[in-house]
Amino acid sequence: MSSESLIANLSSDLTPVQRRSMLREGGLVLALGAVELALFLGLGVMRPDMHHITGSPFLIWRVGSLGLLAVVACVLAIRSFSPTARPRRGLMLASALAVAAIIGGAFVTPEGVADHSLLERINPLSGIMCAMSIFVLSLPIVALLGALMRRAAPTQPRLSALASGIAAGACGAFVFAFCCPFNDPLYVVVWYSVGCAAVAAAARWSLPRRFRL
Amino acid sequence: MRSDFLLRLISKPEPSTAPASRERPSQTAPDSWGGLMVAAQNGHGGAYRRLLGEMSEWLTRYFQRRLPPGDVDDAVQETLLAVHRRRHTYDPRYPLGPWLAAIAKNKWVDQLRSLARRPTDELPEEIAVPDHEAAVVSSSVLASLLDELRPAQAQAILLVKVQGYSIEDASGQIGLSPSAVKMNIHRGLARLTAIIEKTPDVE
Repeated sequence: MSSESLIANLSSDLTPVQRRSMLREGGLVLALGAVELALFLGLGVMRPDMHHITGSPFLIWRVGSLGLLAVVACVLAIRSFSPTARPRRGLMLASALAVAAIIGGAFVTPEGVADHSLLERINPLSGIMCAMSIFVLSLPIVALLGALMRRAAPTQPRLSALASGIAAGACGAFVFAFCCPFNDPLYVVVWYSVGCAAVAAAARWSLPRRFRL
Repeated sequence: MRSDFLLRLISKPEPSTAPASRERPSQTAPDSWGGLMVAAQNGHGGAYRRLLGEMSEWLTRYFQRRLPPGDVDDAVQETLLAVHRRRHTYDPRYPLGPWLAAIAKNKWVDQLRSLARRPTDELPEEIAVPDHEAAVVSSSVLASLLDELRPAQAQAILLVKVQGYSIEDASGQIGLSPSAVKMNIHRGLARLTAIIEKTPDVE
């Protein structure tokens, strides 16, 4: 088929299309995150001492840094779905933000927590459960971002998938932060990072396979 | 009012507004391209036909300088199909040129990957070449790209993929085993693809 006949075919029965809107896509992700948080807390899993620790530097650090990272990473992921986007710099910004959050954790350690041994502080058995919970909680956001990515036209799908995974992981960790009973920043840094990294790796591996521009 | 606007868009452009072939797409793309795409997004077939026609000319020049002559039409049509499937992703606040160039570059990389997978045939002795310009520019681009590779990789790609030697003949000339020549070609093409993916969308 020549290019002329292809053009004739493509333009002969053209139908209007709904233009892609980053605002609408961001709203969808926000709405899904809000529904997930409401459902999760509706199950009665919010930590019972939440009203005691509300306003504590540790909770502000944990929820604030995860929420900020989730918002930045979601914006970055949605922006990266445009063909002209350059997600590399945005990913570096998200990484810098994560590093800053980790460093910030050193300043909000509650009293007495640092007296325990390293193994007690990390608590691998509970940590693995936390990481798995974050992974599961991030799956709806990964699915939504994957669907949005598939409908859009990213020209660097691997980086877009990585950004989507980081965004979903941060969202899952943000939701989980409301029920996690541990008050040790070291525990949070280690196991939340493991959970987010697992989501990012899974998204980076799976999403580009389902995508073709 | 709206139909006047569309008629103006569909009418043939002035010859002086024809894009120069060696500039950035954002500079060569006429201002009307964005308007034509908006009309196409709204379902206006005439505007879309004119837009795709002008894009096709631009894409032909774009790929002529980057691909073997036999692959240009395929690349143009693949890109037009991608434009058609993803036309809803164009944001009218931005110029259409970079949007098109990003898609074209992606398709160029795809074509390079398919070239790397394609079995190598020896070139016949005599090939009719009607126009040398694209070949000259391609060889200039290729030479600068090959400079980025290791000498053994560049030599293997040059002999087998460009000059059409068989793997065995090339291994005899280079003094490496056939499997080493194949490995050099594979790694060299992968490196070239990575270099091209990292380069900005410039003509």
